[in-house]
Amino acid sequence: MTEAQIIETLLDFIAADGTTDDEFSPLALEIFAYQFENNIPYQRFCRQREKTPRTMQSWRNIPAVPINGYKDLTLSCCDPEAAERIFMTSGTTKNGVRGKCHHPTLSVYDTSMITAFRQRFMQEHTKLRMGILFPTEQTMPNSSLAHYLALALNEFGSDGSRYLFNDDGLDHEQLFAELDRAEQTGKPYALLGASFSFVHVMDKMSHLGKTVSLPEGSRILDTGGFKGQSRELELNEFYDLLEARFGVPRDHCINMYGMTELSTEFYDWGNATCPSVKSGPHWIRSQIVNPLTGEELPKGDKGILAHCDLAHFNCVSSILTEDAGIELDDGFLLLGRAEGAEAKGCSMAVDEFLKAAQG
Amino acid sequence: MALRAGYLPGINANDVEWQTLTYDRDGQAIEVSVPLLSDEQMKGLSGRIKEASRQHLKSMAVSDITATIDATIARLLDRNDTYRQQAEEYLPLITGYDAEMVRLGLTGYLKTFRQSELRRFVAEDFVNPKILDEFQPLPKGGYGRAYGPDLLAHIWAGNVPGLPLWSLISGLLVKAGNIGKVPSTEPLMASWFAHIIAEIDPKLGQCLAVVWWKGGDVDREQALLNQADLVMAYGNNDTLHQIRDRTPITTRCLTYSHKVSFGMVSKAALDTGKAWEVAHQAAYDIVRYDQQGCYSPHLFFVEQGGAVTPQEFAQYIANELDCFEEKFPRRSLTIEEASGVAAWRQSEEMKSFFAENNAVMGDANDAWSVAYSEAEEDLAPSGLNRTAKVISVKQLDDVPARIAPYKAFLQTVGIAAAPEELQRLAGMLGAVGVTRISALEHMTAPEAGWHHDGRFNLLDLVTMTEVERSAETAAEAFSDYVD
Repeated sequence: MTEAQIIETLLDFIAADGTTDDEFSPLALEIFAYQFENNIPYQRFCRQREKTPRTMQSWRNIPAVPINGYKDLTLSCCDPEAAERIFMTSGTTKNGVRGKCHHPTLSVYDTSMITAFRQRFMQEHTKLRMGILFPTEQTMPNSSLAHYLALALNEFGSDGSRYLFNDDGLDHEQLFAELDRAEQTGKPYALLGASFSFVHVMDKMSHLGKTVSLPEGSRILDTGGFKGQSRELELNEFYDLLEARFGVPRDHCINMYGMTELSTEFYDWGNATCPSVKSGPHWIRSQIVNPLTGEELPKGDKGILAHCDLAHFNCVSSILTEDAGIELDDGFLLLGRAEGAEAKGCSMAVDEFLKAAQG
Repeated sequence: MALRAGYLPGINANDVEWQTLTYDRDGQAIEVSVPLLSDEQMKGLSGRIKEASRQHLKSMAVSDITATIDATIARLLDRNDTYRQQAEEYLPLITGYDAEMVRLGLTGYLKTFRQSELRRFVAEDFVNPKILDEFQPLPKGGYGRAYGPDLLAHIWAGNVPGLPLWSLISGLLVKAGNIGKVPSTEPLMASWFAHIIAEIDPKLGQCLAVVWWKGGDVDREQALLNQADLVMAYGNNDTLHQIRDRTPITTRCLTYSHKVSFGMVSKAALDTGKAWEVAHQAAYDIVRYDQQGCYSPHLFFVEQGGAVTPQEFAQYIANELDCFEEKFPRRSLTIEEASGVAAWRQSEEMKSFFAENNAVMGDANDAWSVAYSEAEEDLAPSGLNRTAKVISVKQLDDVPARIAPYKAFLQTVGIAAAPEELQRLAGMLGAVGVTRISALEHMTAPEAGWHHDGRFNLLDLVTMTEVERSAETAAEAFSDYVD
């Protein structure tokens, strides 16, 4: 298939609802064949594992590239120069090199995001007044999360929705004005942003002795964890605090699990209990694997998450994450980053070394 | 049988809250109870240890202390002793290390604490060891005596069996009262050691204790930090940073952080007759405790120009690792550890796509991996658990400059080279921060009295009390016999 055909097929597939494994697999294999042909580093990766489109029966066997691969390789089917947008990874990297995901068009990414966001976050609402606790897309053009949040605001934010972030960081004044306003109007409000931003906001609120009680139907979306950007909280503590500070019940506090190396996001149905069950829309599938061999583990075993995201058609659809998880009937439990790093003894491990070497 | 860790002189076990740690490797689950002291109990224990240290330990001669330690070690070496038998039975289950490797490792390690070695240990740091027992004349004039702290707090980390004995014995040698916090990954060995000491010399047994709390339990840690006169802590930089921050300003805090070690192989060692043996030795250093030690090699710089090429040498190491898997199988990895190995291995594989001669040896299912590189690579840790990298270099003399930026992380270098090369390289490596140079095969077994991370194990623990010549002279004026 050509790029244009892939895009068209994908948009149709995303629009169609309730697909089965029988429909998912053939398209996954076609996209794999496309990536194998056009993404030469990926082809080498597959050949080294003696996997080619000819030998492939199911999406489950498509070789998953470790997300670290994006730091060492340019994984793109299109000419990287011709990409409409490049999203870059964050986090600890080798020599400051950040992985790049090239998007020849954002149409698939956007459709994927909008479709799933409507189902999983908006639910009964068509529009909500939103506050974003994250920098704008203009400030962070290479951040997939900045783009994601901009889409949320533009597609689903009602009039008055805004960024609560300025050049100096969180704009507490505006944020508190928005929260007070929502409380007074009684209309549902949505607060979206990085998990660590919520921690900073709540620390500030605790300092000021402030709590609000957002109207019924209000919701919160957090994503990304704390990543050393704020104090680390136990998930239960975090969602308890959200509920206490904002008056949004834990089952209306949605956590989104996404990554630069994907074009589709996972959501839970609230965080009444933690860890919550995460699941994605029908164009992404996940497996729990043994990270060394890539073999799928029996259901219920703890392993590493591997995802096959059809919407990430230009790079590689199948990736091996560094996140630990357990498969369930209706999704998976996300157990956080598998800190493979830490040695049991006094030897130094890669992550710690990178962190220390970068001062 | 319920195993119990910890050693708490003066505390009734029934008054203590016990927690159970469960170790489940390969379907063989065992449980160990560990004591969790209240703030009051920790305070009381600290007070008693300090008092016992002042009353009893400080008046013992170092030679008497070494005799007791020697007798303790003798029991741990005696395969008919019940403690030794427990160690052989349970340490492999708790740590996952191969039983035979643990047995051999323990023996080799404990041997470095026999009486003659302990004397050497003391003599390494004190020209005149008697200075620990009584005032001794100082070269500059006057007299001096070295005092160990009344309470030395040890915060241990890691699962290499017996590692805590190092600092515990160091503490005893300078007559410090000791409270050691054992890690959950191996809480037993230090506890047994303390029990045996107490059986042999009950009074000395009042001078040390072994406690536990869950890593990150800041309150319990603080309770000990507040009582200690000196703190020795092991762990990663984040942990150490926290401990140091919370240590009272008047208390010294000695930290031992994680390190990276590596090997160097000269072309002189790469003739066809010798290279196999050298590779065998290198592999042994990798296999021992699955690279969990700070002295364990992550990579090997191998010199070009020998009869055996660096690439062939990498293959030799791979073969040797494969053979060792028969004798000392790698312990089964947790999903986190496997993820670390996988990330390293896959990253090396991907680099090999674009560098003609780079390669990753070993199958993903193997319990080891060797990466080979001809690129100008910097020092970086491997994925641990029997993963190592061989880097081909034009000449070993180029290596010190490459590793110089990583001074803070360097520790041991295992070298296979001719005498004059060894001498030259030692000078260059010392200058960039390497603190220990050993032969290959000996990287993970430092000799008795080594200076851990280049520091003085005993000297760092003591304070000197000096009686200056002026005091002596002035005293003369007040003597009975003054004219």
